[in-house]
Amino acid sequence: MSPSWFFGFDVILEVMFAVICLIVALFSFKIYKDTKFRSLKFFGFSFLLISLSYMIQSIFNFLIVSEFNQDVCRIIRVHSIHNFEALGIITHMFLMTLGLSILLYTTLKDKRLRTLWLLILISFAAVFFSKNNLYMFYLISTIYLAFISWHYILNHYLTKQNKTLLVAIAFLFLLFGNFHFLISVNHELFYAIGHILELFAYLFIMLNLYLVRRR
Amino acid sequence: MSRKRERVMIIHDILKAIEEKKGSARPTHILYKSNLSSQMLKEYLGDLIDKKFIEITKDKKNNKFYTMTDRGYKYLQDFHIIKNFMESYDLTE
Repeated sequence: MSPSWFFGFDVILEVMFAVICLIVALFSFKIYKDTKFRSLKFFGFSFLLISLSYMIQSIFNFLIVSEFNQDVCRIIRVHSIHNFEALGIITHMFLMTLGLSILLYTTLKDKRLRTLWLLILISFAAVFFSKNNLYMFYLISTIYLAFISWHYILNHYLTKQNKTLLVAIAFLFLLFGNFHFLISVNHELFYAIGHILELFAYLFIMLNLYLVRRR
Repeated sequence: MSRKRERVMIIHDILKAIEEKKGSARPTHILYKSNLSSQMLKEYLGDLIDKKFIEITKDKKNNKFYTMTDRGYKYLQDFHIIKNFMESYDLTE
């Protein structure tokens, strides 16, 4: 899906996204440890899973274009590079779907765990029983990000603060980035544009974290 | 996403009420300062004890006091960071 000129850049960007998500997750867990607010635990887990999904994506993207791929295929007993690529995509989809489901759950403000299970099971069923898994994954992610973005836009509308504005903008960039992945199935260029939009999104998230920590 | 006084703020107000009494306050003082009903305050105090932010102590006359723990002081110290982060992502409960 990635255009050839973008090989390597995507790996670097995905590692960056993984690190930023991990920082947010660890920060959330740190506050959870001190306060025991339930929402922080779920929020931390969602960013941790998203971080892991980017990490897996970057590792597999790196291995696919690197010379190690044949050796790795032999070691993990995968018969061809296509199967190896599929393994990476499935793991990425699994972790990202789970992470986004939990993030959406935190915005719903519903304390019932069965709501979370419903979200997870429906999204997994839709993604993994679809004829075109990748397309359905991007479609589900786009829908979830649209709901999450709308929630953060409303949050900014009610609070009128710079920090909530940054989060709303960040999630709008993630939404548009994800939408480009959705249409990148047929057009390689959109895959690169999607990554660039996600880069802006995570820079806004980091800027927000900087402002949050400043006393 | 209601704009009523958020849980994170109510906890702050209760802890502040205890802190201004040198870290140990009577329930009546906390009730007066926190602007909560006695039932709500009871629930919050129970929650704060569970979170280990405060503990119950008694003086020589067997009067009941709520005393701040180190964890409670840390919450007040980091309050702005906690509040900013939770408000950013609307994680307030």
